Amino acid sequence: MSILANKDTKVIVQGITGNQASFHTRRSIEYGTNIVGGVTPNKGGTEFLGVPVFNKVSEAVKETKATASILFVPAKFVVDAAREAIEAELELLVCISDNIPISDMIRIREMLKGSKTTLIGPNTPGVITPNEARLGIFPENIHNKGHIGVISRSSTLTYEAVIEINRAKMGQSTVIGLGDDMVIGSDFTTSVEKFIHDDETKAIVIIGTLGGTYEEELSEYYQSLKKKKPIIGFVAGRSVPYMTNVGYAGDIITKGHISAQDKKNSMSKAGIVTIDRINDLHHELLNLVK
Amino acid sequence: MNIHEYQAKKILSQYDITIPKGAIAYTPASAKKIADEIAPRGPWMLKSQIHSGARNNGYFIENEAGKKGGIRKVESKRELIKESEKMFGNTLVTIQTGPKGKIVNKIYVEAYTKVKNLFYAGMVIDRMEPAVTLLVGKTEDDDIIKVTLNNPEKILKIKLSLDQGPNVAQVRQVLNFLELPSNAFKNLKKFINGIHKAFIQYDATLIEINPAGLTKSGEIIALDAKMSFDDASLYRHDDIKVLKDEGEYIERNLKASKYGFDYEEFDGSVGLIVNGDGISLALIDLLQQQGFDAACALNVKGGVDKDKIAAGVKIIMTNPKVEGILINILGGFVRCNLIADGIVSATSEVGLNSPLVVRFEGVNKEYAKEILEKSKLPMEISEDMLGSVDNLIKIMKEND
Repeated sequence: MSILANKDTKVIVQGITGNQASFHTRRSIEYGTNIVGGVTPNKGGTEFLGVPVFNKVSEAVKETKATASILFVPAKFVVDAAREAIEAELELLVCISDNIPISDMIRIREMLKGSKTTLIGPNTPGVITPNEARLGIFPENIHNKGHIGVISRSSTLTYEAVIEINRAKMGQSTVIGLGDDMVIGSDFTTSVEKFIHDDETKAIVIIGTLGGTYEEELSEYYQSLKKKKPIIGFVAGRSVPYMTNVGYAGDIITKGHISAQDKKNSMSKAGIVTIDRINDLHHELLNLVK
Repeated sequence: MNIHEYQAKKILSQYDITIPKGAIAYTPASAKKIADEIAPRGPWMLKSQIHSGARNNGYFIENEAGKKGGIRKVESKRELIKESEKMFGNTLVTIQTGPKGKIVNKIYVEAYTKVKNLFYAGMVIDRMEPAVTLLVGKTEDDDIIKVTLNNPEKILKIKLSLDQGPNVAQVRQVLNFLELPSNAFKNLKKFINGIHKAFIQYDATLIEINPAGLTKSGEIIALDAKMSFDDASLYRHDDIKVLKDEGEYIERNLKASKYGFDYEEFDGSVGLIVNGDGISLALIDLLQQQGFDAACALNVKGGVDKDKIAAGVKIIMTNPKVEGILINILGGFVRCNLIADGIVSATSEVGLNSPLVVRFEGVNKEYAKEILEKSKLPMEISEDMLGSVDNLIKIMKEND
């Protein structure tokens, strides 16, 4: 098992004929991902990378029975593309596109309410279940099948976490990049809940960073859980004086001063093992086994 | 992207928000001319136009600028000329500018407006909801961040939708919270609606009016205004894009943003080239744990064009504060080989004057290493993040 996507998950790619999309879709197919089609307006009826292309998500879903989509369209088309995916009742939407206006993301989050779709991203490396499915742009060669679930708010640190898991001679069940943007589709709790119900996953690694209260919400959720699995957490940005970063003005005003240290403390209090350097992750993983 | 107070006020006035009469001056003579035009008699306000809050509590570095802050009230024309002469061309430091401060080249001259019931009004995005959030507080403090940290109960927060301003009950709630007279209701509604409309229309990330107040005639007036915009949305706001004041940014910043990269400067000596904010934060954490710090960080996010990457690398290599360079790329969207090409091309142009440590992981990592090895450039290649930091610090210590 795994969460969100496995080798049987039928996946379409929105914007499949684009430059980045085709580069990464080809790699995903080679990896074994069950890509069953693509969507590019006005290119319906053609074939690309050996799969049929459709004009609309609804057509693609009808023909292929896909339940997941990878979104590669340019930022200005993301709202419409996401709407199509949500209306087609896809279970999983992985949005790789970046530079999406915040107000567009607020609209997408409105559409997601009460829908069947889980959105991962935007601005994410995606979701990967090693040896089964690669929905995104992960460097696939670093991943190994195993029992550690990874959920990260930082794209690049996701890879660091994976490398550390490998160093501990372990592997990953599923790796999820939540996305680096200010407004994202999912938080830690949704995926933690899934990992806890996944037999394959024995422990979870959380990579947090500055901004928002995702780590605090996770801590609260974790504390409330009856059935738990061990979590190891890291928060980047401990050296950054919070106030100097103008980008967080809205955060400070709405939520108060939350530093990386505060986030780490809230996780520790909730019983999550925390580390100061991501390179200490493999030690902690080995400690879990002891 | 940030804009100046006078630009923000102009936008807000188009959304029915009352502002004092004023205009922008570039010389003491034009300041006087403006004063003549906007009000026959003083007092007037002279307001330094730099991108920073808390200008009133700031100070000028130069002695000739006098001891007063960046916002000065003047009673007579003679005083107006004298004070504006002191401010023009001098360097204003505030808690937001850092110790280097910013040079004042523009002064907004306004008619002094007497108000009562001073209050703060702001609009931001609460990323967790996510929603647009109105904030108001009965405060005369210049620094709203301090208030929210120390006395959060003094701020009222109201969540609003993208498409609709506040309803009657919400306006009444604000009115009561601010203890404004009940006959101010209509104007308060107009005022909040104006902020909301401007915020949505222009994809703002922040509007702050600090303070606003009630005039004698019962109008609500914005005495100050600050607006920031979502960079990702600028493609649909040409009228905002042109308001960018390039003088507010260091040249290296402007260059980086031209190529679509993020660039930030700090106080240390290590130049970082990375492809993500998380890795940049984690590297700075590691450097600081060993007593070092970053001089600058370039995030080549989404960089897939080798000429752009070369231009980015050059920005770091030509920063005089950089004594060592650390390149840490985790290839996914960004392919390692393109970064390697960029490094080789940049060094062939500007030379390599500082120790360089490179660490690649992910897409096309081996290919990238080959390119660097072929180039015969003096550099170290590290296999992991911690190792790359240790390696660079070791070399920098040896060079010292």
